[in-house]
Amino acid sequence: MSSHDAKKLGQLHRDLHTHMPSDPALRVKALESLAVEKGLVAQDTIDTWVEMYRDRVGPMRGAQVVARAWTDDAFRTRLLNDAGQAIKDFGFEGHASEHLKAVENTPGTHNLVVCTLCSCYPFSVLGMSPAWYRSAAYRARVVKDPRAVLAEFGLTLPDTVKIRVWDSTAELRYLVVPERPAGTQGWSEDRLTEIVTRDAMIGTDRDLKIT
Amino acid sequence: MDGPHDLGGKDGFGPVAVDAPPFAEDWEARQWALSKNIPLPGGTIDFWRHGIENMDPATYLALPYFEKWCLNEIAHRIDQGVFTLDEILTGQPESRQDPPAKPLDMDGALARLRANAQDFSVTMDKPAAFNTGDRVVAQNIPTAGHTRLPAYARGHTGTVIAHHGGHLFADAGAAGEHRGEHLYTVEFTARQLWGSDTADTICLDLWEPYLAAP
Repeated sequence: MSSHDAKKLGQLHRDLHTHMPSDPALRVKALESLAVEKGLVAQDTIDTWVEMYRDRVGPMRGAQVVARAWTDDAFRTRLLNDAGQAIKDFGFEGHASEHLKAVENTPGTHNLVVCTLCSCYPFSVLGMSPAWYRSAAYRARVVKDPRAVLAEFGLTLPDTVKIRVWDSTAELRYLVVPERPAGTQGWSEDRLTEIVTRDAMIGTDRDLKIT
Repeated sequence: MDGPHDLGGKDGFGPVAVDAPPFAEDWEARQWALSKNIPLPGGTIDFWRHGIENMDPATYLALPYFEKWCLNEIAHRIDQGVFTLDEILTGQPESRQDPPAKPLDMDGALARLRANAQDFSVTMDKPAAFNTGDRVVAQNIPTAGHTRLPAYARGHTGTVIAHHGGHLFADAGAAGEHRGEHLYTVEFTARQLWGSDTADTICLDLWEPYLAAP
């Protein structure tokens, strides 16, 4: 059982950081080797998991959810009411997505997601987060000066568009539903899926390009 | 706790590296896989997070993200008796699981990912203290323990825009106690928090014990 003793954890962290080799790749290798040697996990499982997050679990999942919301009003309503349930239509439930909240951009509102305290992210819907999402710079700055951070992503919003920053402080996770671009009438769900970017579903991108 | 992890609103950081991929190095992807597949039988997600928060502040800010995860996974497994410190430093196992864990194929991995879904909602006996539309103040209660009330919101007044019913309370969870509290989304104006001259807002998910009537 866990000790729930913060001082003990702090000391363990200091011991490990002091005594383990300093190269992070070697630290991870030490954990992997010991866990495999002890029979706690199979090497093949680790390889498969890496492959799964490379090929099967990523922003293309969220893009499918957004494209369906654009083309199916009943689904859009369910998504906005309870996204955690709605994504089960696709089998996308899983790590950190039970209490998913979908927030829709409008002409006058732009949504932007962060986790200032750690790096909470809806992994089973968007895959692994981009490194910048986990960076101290993004976490520190985006709540205080979102417009300056968005400008670094090439997005300049007029003052007439209000930004709503969602700081994921509890177990809710956020998925931004971008606006469907003009000129996509009659497009199939599959074709729409291809224009939805990861960053648009986090909120660091807004106006989707038609390809 | 007022740790280095509570970054919201801190100054001095440079531009965001906007092109950084999810995994820059192979070891980062492997650490993610290890975190999700080596059993950690006891404890809560809250105490797991609190472990990282209790890293030395200079180390917290200096180490790459998944290196912090690596050390935290090891620290929690030593804490729970899954590993010993000697085992991790020497690489020599003192005991082995018998039979060893079976390998997962892709379908098994996808099923494990779906099974990771965790419901944090709790049925509450006591009624909610606040309603949507209420003005509330985020309390200024510094604690040495785990909290999900960021320092930048403390003492500020916002508006409840959603009530989510009861959710497992993170502060209690870090101490090993499974207790629900009413959870709300509270919207603060950027003008109130930062003196901004925009109409922008910041929304936080806050449990009832963090809040008071103004």
